[in-house]
Amino acid sequence: MNKEWKQPSLEVLDV
Amino acid sequence: MITNQKLTVNHVVVQAEGNIVSDMDGEKVMLNISRGKYYNLGEVGGRIWDGISAPISIRNLVPILMAEYNVEQSKCEDHVLSFLEQLLEEQLIYIEEEGMRQ
Repeated sequence: MNKEWKQPSLEVLDV
Repeated sequence: MITNQKLTVNHVVVQAEGNIVSDMDGEKVMLNISRGKYYNLGEVGGRIWDGISAPISIRNLVPILMAEYNVEQSKCEDHVLSFLEQLLEEQLIYIEEEGMRQ
């Protein structure tokens, strides 16, 4: 069974 | 090497060096050493990052993702291109024209 696709996004973490 | 051009499926994507990558709760996080910045690529973004561990054209990357996820080709292409443009903007990848590598 194929996995659910979620729109990928690059999150810049404030660390 | 191309660093500031709109991506198309004809481009070959190459990971930039100098990143430390780790899996965290199914998502992929990354530290860019030279810039001291942390990123969260998420689950799908992490899979894309794994998919470009060796230089690959976006045209060839999309079918690999479609085989693993429930997603139509047009949506997959749009989302992958948009995500890779984010990586390109942060200099986490660079791109080449298809056919440059023999």
